[in-house]
Order: sequence, then C-alpha cells, then structure tokens
Amino acid sequence: MKRDVHFILNGKPVTFSVEPRTTLLRALREYGVTSVKRGCEEGECGTCTVVIDDLAQKSCMVLALEAEGKSVLTVEGLVGPKGELHPIQQAFVDEGAIQCGFCTPGMIMSAYAFLRKTPDPTEEEIRVALAGNLCRCTGYIPIFRAVHKAAAVMRELGHIPGRAR
Amino acid sequence: MLAFEMERPRSLASAAEILEKHGSQAMVKAGGTDVLVWMRKHAVHPEVLVDLSEIPELKGISFYPHRGIKIGALATVNETAENEDVKRCYPALRDACLSHSDVLIRNKATVLGNICASVPSGDLIPAFAVHEAVLHVFGPGGERDIFFSDFITGPRKNSLMPGEIVVSATLPFPGERSAGCYLKLARRNALDLAQVGVACLAVDGEAGRTYRIACGAVAPRPVRATGAEKILEGVTAPGDDLLDRAGKAAAEASNPITDVRASREYRLSMVDELTKRAVALCAERLQGGRAS
Repeated sequence: MKRDVHFILNGKPVTFSVEPRTTLLRALREYGVTSVKRGCEEGECGTCTVVIDDLAQKSCMVLALEAEGKSVLTVEGLVGPKGELHPIQQAFVDEGAIQCGFCTPGMIMSAYAFLRKTPDPTEEEIRVALAGNLCRCTGYIPIFRAVHKAAAVMRELGHIPGRAR
Repeated sequence: MLAFEMERPRSLASAAEILEKHGSQAMVKAGGTDVLVWMRKHAVHPEVLVDLSEIPELKGISFYPHRGIKIGALATVNETAENEDVKRCYPALRDACLSHSDVLIRNKATVLGNICASVPSGDLIPAFAVHEAVLHVFGPGGERDIFFSDFITGPRKNSLMPGEIVVSATLPFPGERSAGCYLKLARRNALDLAQVGVACLAVDGEAGRTYRIACGAVAPRPVRATGAEKILEGVTAPGDDLLDRAGKAAAEASNPITDVRASREYRLSMVDELTKRAVALCAERLQGGRAS
C-alpha cells in the first residue's frame, strides 16, 4: 500500500507517494530526478549517491519512507539559478573527469559531502572519500585531479561549503 | 524486492509490541545495508519490516570513565570511528570501523547491525571479541545482558530470542595502558569482505602484560586465539620465535572454509601472519610508552 513521504529535495519541500519497498533511488527517478543513476542496487557501485542531511549515502540502500523529514540533495540542487555549474561540476568538466558520465553524479555528490568536511584534502583523503564510487572509464586519476581543483577553487571563492546554491 | 509493510516505531516499547504482534513475520532493521540487500536477493522476506531508526533510546555513544563505552544500536560505523573516546581507547574498534565497506555505506550501516548480522566475515566482530563486549537486549522477557562470547552461534545465527532487540553494547574500558589494532586482509581496500581479519588488544595491567587475540572470517563462529594469548602472556617485547609460536597457535584455533574469496590453506597461513603482525604492532605501540 502506498504511503506519503514528505522531505526537502534540493531545497524544496516535496511529497512522494511510495510503497514501503520503494528505495529512495527508485522514488527519485520515478519523480524525474534522473541524475541519480541506477547501477548495482546493492550498495556497491555508488552511482546513486545523494547527500542526506549532510551525509553522502547510497540511495539504493535507503527506503524512500526513511527520507521523511530529511533534506536530500542531488546534483540538480548544486546548479545555480541561472544554470551555472557548481565549482565541483566545473572542475569535472575542466579536468576531463567525465567519460561515459554514468558515475559522475554520484562522484560529485560524494565529493561535495567530503569537501564540506575537508576543505583542504590530501590525495589519500580524496581516494578514501571516493572509494565507494566506481568508475569504469577514467581510471580515477582525472577525477582525483578534479576534486583537488574544486577544493582549491572553493577555498579561493570563500565558498561556504554546504550551502546548496 | 517483494512487497512488505513497514512500521517505524518511536519507542522501544512500541517496537517490542509490534514484534510480538507479528512474530516470525517481522524483521528489524537499523541501517538496513544488509537487510535491504538480503530482501532484494530474496534471502529473507519479512511481511513487516520494523525500522528502528526513529527510536531515540537506541541512539548515541557514551563513554563512562573506568567503565567503558556504550554504543547504541543506531550508532553508525562512521559515527563510531569518529568518536573521540573510540579514537583514544578503542583503536581496534576504530580500525575495524574504517575497514568496513566504504565511507558512504558507513554513514548508514550500524556497528551493532554488523554484529547482529553475525556473518563470519563481519569486520566489527573480532574487535568486539577482544574487548569482551556485553550486549544489552530488550525483549518480551524484559531486559538481559548477553556476553559477546555467547552471542554468535554460527554463520548468520545468534542467541537473540524471537522479539528481542539489541539496544546497545558496552565495551569495558581496556585500561590506561593498552594498545589495539585490527588487521584486515581483503582483495581490495574498499567494499570487500574480509578474507581474514585479526584483532589484537594488549593491556599492561597490575598482573603484567596480557594479550587478547580474535580472528574473523576463519570459522563459523568468532575465534578467540586463547592458545596464542597464553604463549604471549607477560611478554612485553615478543621476539620472532614467540611470535611464530603465537601465529601457529592462532592458525590452529581457526577452521576456515574455501570459498570464492580465498582457500582454506591461504586463510590459515594468513591468520598466522596477521596474528604476528598484530601482536608486534601492539607491543611496539606500548613500548613507545604511549597508550593505543
């Protein structure tokens, strides 16, 4: 039986009608948030990563009903009002950290939650932070470079990490 | 995933009532990172899923000086790894937390969920064994405590009775001068189950140095390598010969299977090696004069 779940999606209150077995991943996609990709659906690949109340989580491992009262952020929420890219997104473009693009939204959300907590990360810290996101194209190196660059840009901009723009 | 109903009780009492009402058709979940996968693979099919994540009594981690640390059923693996008291006094537990899955799953998975899943390769299990944890359980028969050594009875089996919920676990204070570690061998660093995991805790008490060693993923139940512990007792700087004997003793206490992750022979050989390394590491840390 379907039930209503109320939460904040990218800064706006939403109500979804879902079955208890519906994962947050499937609910988001059904409601048109298709940046959240469906990969393994068993918590391995990380392509469905979203940020829930400041913590990066794999949305296939969250039941939609569990989102009740929480704040959920996806890459759609990182984009500015005039379509301007977030520094992390821009860095991914600039560094060629994208090939097929399937892992990219998850990578960016993981990087976003990580850089909020760790504005000046080491290479090792970046690698650990992204260990839960698999990429089969890039070999990861351009991705690490992009996160380094985004961190620098965000520090320089005095960007307040954590403010969903 | 097959359809099910979900209950999200707001108190322990109401969770217990729901469990009593639905009996074996109900299943509890905390983080859900195991339960959701099992349901998806049709390994379990509860009609009612009881989500414990809104129960305030199950939240948090508290440290009581000289007594120990109490980890609530909803404390996530990351929350535990980042806890200052865990960093200071429970390095084996912290190592185990950081070796578990990846940073994203650790934001959801709970420490006690890993224990209750009771899978032989569970990363938190050897750390709970060396710290001689006590689980606090609430159920139809009231409250009771279960010693961790009596908790896991086999692969995915534990001594919880129907309707019982693990509320929290206490890991006794190991002592001011102690050192610990958890060494995990897996095919890759993130998101892999342990082929072998060894936890060691060395304590300088009034009666001299004692060691506690536990091995994971090498038997149906968690293994305490008591033979190895006896060999090392009282020795503050174990030499190669003693480490060799301790490693062999730990391997003798193990009874691993061959599976896709490793063969029995390889696991036995690695129990030996990791035990040596874990003991040497703890001894070295205490030698340096600093705890943990």
